[in-house]
Amino acid sequence: MISDITLGQFFPGFSLLHKLDPRTKLIGAILFIVAIFMAKTPLAFVLLTLFTVAMILVSRISFSVILRGIRPVVYILIFTSILNIFMTKGAGEPLVAFWVLKIYKEGIIRAIFMTVRVILLIVGSSMLLTYTTSPISLTDGLESLLSPLAKIHIPVHVFSMMMTIALRFIPTLVEETDKIMNAQKSRGADFSSGSLVRRAKALIPIIVPLFVSAFKRAEELAVAMECRCYRVDKKRSKLVKLSFGARDFLSFAVFAVFLAGVILISRMSPALFGGGALARALCYRI
Amino acid sequence: MYKLELKNVSYLYSKNTPFEKLALSDVNIGFEAGKITGLIGHTGSGKSTLVNLLNGLNRPTEGTVLLDGKDIWEKPKEIAKIRTEVGLVMQYPEYQLFDETVRADIGFAPRNLGLEEEEIERRVAEAIAFTGIDGALLDKSPFELSGGQKRRVAIAGVMAMGSSVLVLDEPAAGLDPRGRREILDGIHAYAKKNGLTVILVSHSMEDMAYYCDNVIVMNRGRVYMQGTVDAVFSDAEALMDIGLNVPMVARIAAALRKKGFPLEGTLYTVEGVKNAILRMRKEGKA
Repeated sequence: MISDITLGQFFPGFSLLHKLDPRTKLIGAILFIVAIFMAKTPLAFVLLTLFTVAMILVSRISFSVILRGIRPVVYILIFTSILNIFMTKGAGEPLVAFWVLKIYKEGIIRAIFMTVRVILLIVGSSMLLTYTTSPISLTDGLESLLSPLAKIHIPVHVFSMMMTIALRFIPTLVEETDKIMNAQKSRGADFSSGSLVRRAKALIPIIVPLFVSAFKRAEELAVAMECRCYRVDKKRSKLVKLSFGARDFLSFAVFAVFLAGVILISRMSPALFGGGALARALCYRI
Repeated sequence: MYKLELKNVSYLYSKNTPFEKLALSDVNIGFEAGKITGLIGHTGSGKSTLVNLLNGLNRPTEGTVLLDGKDIWEKPKEIAKIRTEVGLVMQYPEYQLFDETVRADIGFAPRNLGLEEEEIERRVAEAIAFTGIDGALLDKSPFELSGGQKRRVAIAGVMAMGSSVLVLDEPAAGLDPRGRREILDGIHAYAKKNGLTVILVSHSMEDMAYYCDNVIVMNRGRVYMQGTVDAVFSDAEALMDIGLNVPMVARIAAALRKKGFPLEGTLYTVEGVKNAILRMRKEGKA
């Protein structure tokens, strides 16, 4: 069902990851993503994977939830893997040659790396951001990090307010869509059979009521905010002030060491590990 | 045999996630054919969850739902057919309106059934007669109507499906007393004329007492009481125990009895109490 989408959903909790300052997590996520793209060898990917698993364990979010978060991108991954396998030209002889299709060793390796990379990217960033950070504190953190831009007249507050509202209403709209779909199904609407045109047409009874209520909701929210004297140009105080604690500085250190470790490992030569076959495989550079 | 029956039904929301919640546990209910059965309970008692099981929008986690003695989930692929046999009017159904005209919107369900234009026209006419919609409104956009009129159009839209069972989740919520009475009167008349089995969810004890033959009381996902209106309302104490109220006139009758007036019978309607008082006076007891 539509409400089973877990990608981009917040799971409340009290773990270390939940308690970190949102700014720490935002910067940590950026460092993590940089590390993913700096990783060049299998050994570096092993380190990245271990780090991701460690984050999952710390957050106490179950693995099944995380698997469900990856499910929506599986088809994209399969598709790009296939493209990678067939489109990559290698130096040596092709492993398999069939008509115009040739598969090289490099293609397979590239496809595996790409898949691991995307999965780590999704799991890692959603672990740090959406799963363990409430949307409100996430935008708070973003606003705080971007606040220097206000000096050059970029309306940071407006953007963060827009983002807060958008994030806040995603679950509401999902619920609403679910309700409207149920109502139309109860009137005999069929969304899952017929030609493409017919299926597209079948969406009208969902989209029209959804838009109508979204606009109505927006108007009501605007009136409610104005009734509470909300003004974009006025400085607002905060109920919860963001502040870095010891655990935030410690986490920065962990992320920095980790990034440095990934970069370092990616540059290591197999000779460091004795130069055997396994060492050569682990340090194979793409 | 019951028209619609629930056997050992349990329902779990968000199974296998941190949000898992048992909404219904071991529910056994029979809805008699041709009768109006009321469903009462606090918010969160599982009424709406139950309602979504009746026409196969959701599948029970455990147990079976029987329509005319047959499990509705016997062939999951044909569940859409069950949805046309059990008409469901959801809470605040006016949010499901989408078509260009009132006529087209009410005709949506019969059109999905693939009926002839003449038959659709006939059903629309019948549905608007019972829901009290002015014929002049038929060619207007449903979005131009008032809240109460939209509600009527939405109810008419489900009636036009011609189901043998009609489930209504709070059909009169948020309407003024007169609109309330008119809509419920219309549903009552329509049900009695066509011999429908009706399940009416409501918060109002007065409505239950006035329109229903049987009553089911839900509490914390379980069936708390079920029986005829007489039987359920005569046990006022059990109802008060879970924080529900008996109809106001029933409380007046109870207060009068306490003061020493010998009122006879189970009293929960204005008419009944009036007659009892008149009878008592005639017999010269007060």
